[in-house]
Amino acid sequence: MKRLLCASFLLTAGLLVVAIGVAEAQTPPLYTKWVNYTTANGFPEGEVFSVAVDGNRIWAGTTHGLVLIEDGRVRRVFTTADGLPGQAVMAIAVDHQTGDVWVGTFGGLSRYSGGQFKNYTNLTSGLANDLVYAVAIQGKYVWAATAGGFSRLNTDTGNWTIFNNQNSPFLEPWGYGVAVGPKKVYLALWGGGVVVYDIEHHYWRPYTDPDGSMEIVLYRNEGLIHIIVSSIAYNPATKMFWAGTYFGLSGYDGRNWHNYLTKDSGLASNFINAVQTRGNEVWACTQKGLSELDFKTNTWVTYRPANWRALDTARPVKLGRGEIIITRPDGSKRTIESPTSIVHNYILNMAFQGKDIWVATAGGLSHGIRQSDKEEKNNESASNRH
Amino acid sequence: MKIRTLVVVLFCLMATPVWSQAPSSAPAQEKPQEKMRYANMPPSAVPYGRFRKPYYNWYLDPSTLEYDGAARSIPEPALNTLKTINIGFLGPLDQAPTPYKVYGGSWNAPPTAPSSLLAEGNPNSLYGIHMLHGTELAIDNANAQGGYKGKPFSLKVYDDAPLWGNASMAIVDMYYKQHVWAMVGGINSASTHIALRVTLKLQVPIIDTATTDPTVTETRIPWLIHNYPDDRQQGYALADYVFNQRKLHRVGLLRENSHYGRMGFEEFFNSARRLGHQPVVAVKYIRGAKDFSEQLRTLKGFGIDGLVLWGNAPDAALILKQMRAMGMNQPVFGSSRIAYPSVIKIAGSAANGLFALSAINPDRNNPEWLAFRRQYLDRYHEEPDAYAAYAYDGTNMLIAAIRKAGLNRALIMDALRDYEMKRYQGVSGTAFFDYTLNNIAPMTFAEVRDGHFVYWPEQRTDWKNGDPLNAMR
Repeated sequence: MKRLLCASFLLTAGLLVVAIGVAEAQTPPLYTKWVNYTTANGFPEGEVFSVAVDGNRIWAGTTHGLVLIEDGRVRRVFTTADGLPGQAVMAIAVDHQTGDVWVGTFGGLSRYSGGQFKNYTNLTSGLANDLVYAVAIQGKYVWAATAGGFSRLNTDTGNWTIFNNQNSPFLEPWGYGVAVGPKKVYLALWGGGVVVYDIEHHYWRPYTDPDGSMEIVLYRNEGLIHIIVSSIAYNPATKMFWAGTYFGLSGYDGRNWHNYLTKDSGLASNFINAVQTRGNEVWACTQKGLSELDFKTNTWVTYRPANWRALDTARPVKLGRGEIIITRPDGSKRTIESPTSIVHNYILNMAFQGKDIWVATAGGLSHGIRQSDKEEKNNESASNRH
Repeated sequence: MKIRTLVVVLFCLMATPVWSQAPSSAPAQEKPQEKMRYANMPPSAVPYGRFRKPYYNWYLDPSTLEYDGAARSIPEPALNTLKTINIGFLGPLDQAPTPYKVYGGSWNAPPTAPSSLLAEGNPNSLYGIHMLHGTELAIDNANAQGGYKGKPFSLKVYDDAPLWGNASMAIVDMYYKQHVWAMVGGINSASTHIALRVTLKLQVPIIDTATTDPTVTETRIPWLIHNYPDDRQQGYALADYVFNQRKLHRVGLLRENSHYGRMGFEEFFNSARRLGHQPVVAVKYIRGAKDFSEQLRTLKGFGIDGLVLWGNAPDAALILKQMRAMGMNQPVFGSSRIAYPSVIKIAGSAANGLFALSAINPDRNNPEWLAFRRQYLDRYHEEPDAYAAYAYDGTNMLIAAIRKAGLNRALIMDALRDYEMKRYQGVSGTAFFDYTLNNIAPMTFAEVRDGHFVYWPEQRTDWKNGDPLNAMR
């Protein structure tokens, strides 16, 4: 009997060790090393609204122009004096086939090619409106989400098509985001939910908030969480699209919706400026930090400066260490500190560069460098402060 | 016994998973929310209120409009580098003849011509010009009191043209070219929504004194405060009055085919449906139409016992005349843009018995209102309307915020955000701002009696003193 008991105990202990190991392993790799680009190293003042990766080059859209980073240094800041149609750069998309960079501004759309900007405005082209919030490349087509609807440019023919509430199933014309999948284009509409365009069969599928009320979420996973959708991202690995709203995060896998609020997840804030996704990761750019969801394990990681509340005040505050909050599926949280920090908690967008990430914030641009597993382990044990 | 206990403990340990079973499986951690009905909605109008408690309620706590960005840390400019303290204005003014030459830059000499003579183009410019006059009066009064630390406030006026592709760039222009500290406007809900989205990025406070679109304050964008009574409040007030107080059952709806008409219609329709009185018929008309016989025949055919009308005063006047001429004597209840003297002027005796909501009570003896009215009359030779009064109040709130916060847009917005769950006493009446910074104060009813409007305050049947669910308790 004693032997049996001893064997049971050892078996259980072993299982526990394995389980804890699995649980630990479920924490996504962390970003504890940040390199920041601010006014101190050549960035214009104001927010960084957008960021795009173009091989080794990084493009960033700011309140005062388009910034090019090469070899870790700010190479150039393009402004309206250089030909940009607007100072505020909301969106950047790189056409990897042609090398062209498409820039969405508050002033029109622009194509940067061969060192020149070619501008498209409401008066000179088929751009639906000069307020451009998002740009995406779909083969030979360039899609632009504008305040007056979505415009699609055929770069072969130069022909434009406008999609708005006059010719498409939009509740409102106001475009806010666009993402491209292999067979579909996903449109985010302000006050109109998500509308999916089937490229091959040319039909539309709208998704709206099923409870029909701005002021409530009736059921947790009822459908799209809110009708005001600020951004959209498509994940080819999981074949899911993700909608960022100012009322939480929504993902759709083709059958079920997966909705997240701060009250039931590790999401830092329900106010999501942008969403991006790769592999099992979903990244929500919120005003209280950058939140990553590991969808497979339902584990959340949020990055922000440890002194983030002080950054939002009128007093000048020096950026200190970073704060990383890990939220487990059972709701338990663990906070660790990193020696360097993302530059600000107010996150406007982000982009992937291999394993690294680039994050557009209200305080500048941050480059998150993925650390090795060994470094991560050392760092966690050293900085653990629960 | 000990062995058994140990086995049980081991079994329990083995049975307890320490990893997740599936995404989205985390237990909901209920955050206690304040016991309050959003926007003072009647209990019967709560969506799904009879069936289910929502998983989450928005707009009921101070986090509704929180702002965690970097704009508070932007240093103030040196005052001696500024000639004026610029405030933007966006409203429908187009086709107004000179001296109302409105252009992208600063707007010059204040005109004195009555708005009725100026508003010949865009019909909404009738309201826009009143709004501009109210704003201008507040600016001039503030400048007479020293402006901001000796620097005068200056209005930068932008026309909200019907082609809003043009107007959509107004706030961008205001920010980059005029360096405004805040914006007053607008009336058109589409333009306001567009400006709102821009200001989330550029971070310019907006005091909206004119749109009736309730969704403008339901976006959680923390850069806008709104003081004009919206369609949600109007819908609740009318539905309660029509069904609970007047006890009508077969109500028809006639509304303008526009965004304004649609939003108002939806709010009233939803309230009516939840009260158990779904309107029996709803028809539309084109703004500026002259012949409403087709719509009226449809309404008559449904045997309605009352008509709710959502539109503008000139059209409402013609509808009233044609209704009465067809022998339709049902009571008519109108939205706030119908409670204008022009409805009586055009409809004549057919206007008698019209009930309409009003955003102000111009007959009250409040000293601030009387002083404003006198100043307005002296300057513009006409009565101020609700758009003028709310613009005057909103601009005064904005000026006070700038004086309190200094020249930092985020701090100015913080000062405006201080109005959350508080009252503001202005010439338009007493406003009360909820967590969305929307004014949800009770409205005023107006009835045409013997060719004149008679006003009385809204009193909903569900309002009880000390009601803990009432936001204004």
